[in-house]
Amino acid sequence: MDLIDTIHISSSGMKAQQDRLKIVSQNIANAESVGTRDGAQPYRRQTISFKNVMDQETKTSLVKTNKVSTDKSQFVKKYEPNNPQSDAEGYVMYPNVNPISEMMDMREARRSYEANLAVIESSKAMLGQTINLLK
Amino acid sequence: MSDVSFSRAAGAYNDALKAANNILARIEATSSEAGATQAAKGSSFLDMVGSALKDSAAMGYKSETMATKALSGKADLTDVVTAVSDAETALNTVVAIRDRVISAYQDIIKMPI
Repeated sequence: MDLIDTIHISSSGMKAQQDRLKIVSQNIANAESVGTRDGAQPYRRQTISFKNVMDQETKTSLVKTNKVSTDKSQFVKKYEPNNPQSDAEGYVMYPNVNPISEMMDMREARRSYEANLAVIESSKAMLGQTINLLK
Repeated sequence: MSDVSFSRAAGAYNDALKAANNILARIEATSSEAGATQAAKGSSFLDMVGSALKDSAAMGYKSETMATKALSGKADLTDVVTAVSDAETALNTVVAIRDRVISAYQDIIKMPI
């Protein structure tokens, strides 16, 4: 049934947004994780991308996580001579995580999740109304 | 009181599924016995109700196994919600059709002869 397929498609969208939020939470949690050994790199920001996958059974396109990769941009260099992790010149490398862009990503994930949820709600309502015709 | 668990519910659904399968097999057997006279084989009312019941039992079984998996941390919450809403829709459909059919039978029973 088409409306049941709709619910499955939306649930794949919700799963994708869950994955996205997982990446965001990792980035925010590790926003200040510096390298543990001398010369070691700090945490590198992760990014996520999606792809559409054809479901052969229902002939619908679902969303799947394409790939989790790392952000190649430069680390943030801070002058902290008192920090035990500082290099010879007193600089410490911090992760290339920008909390504001993570926040925006989080909002987007949330809105997207809500949109998928709204689709599920209305397809359930439509199904219910159709069944109610019989009553 | 005996313990009631999710696996039990799943087992019950499985039993229902088997019962529905048995009914379907019997229907098929009787309709093939009737042979050529039964032109509309596979489209009888019993067939329809039987397959609807089977579908709904299968979906119920799936939703219960999903819920059990989620409890043990093996399934996604979204999958559980989808499976449960599938089962709910299937059951609602079967119940609505059953109610309609029973009311039709009652109308016939009440018919003054």
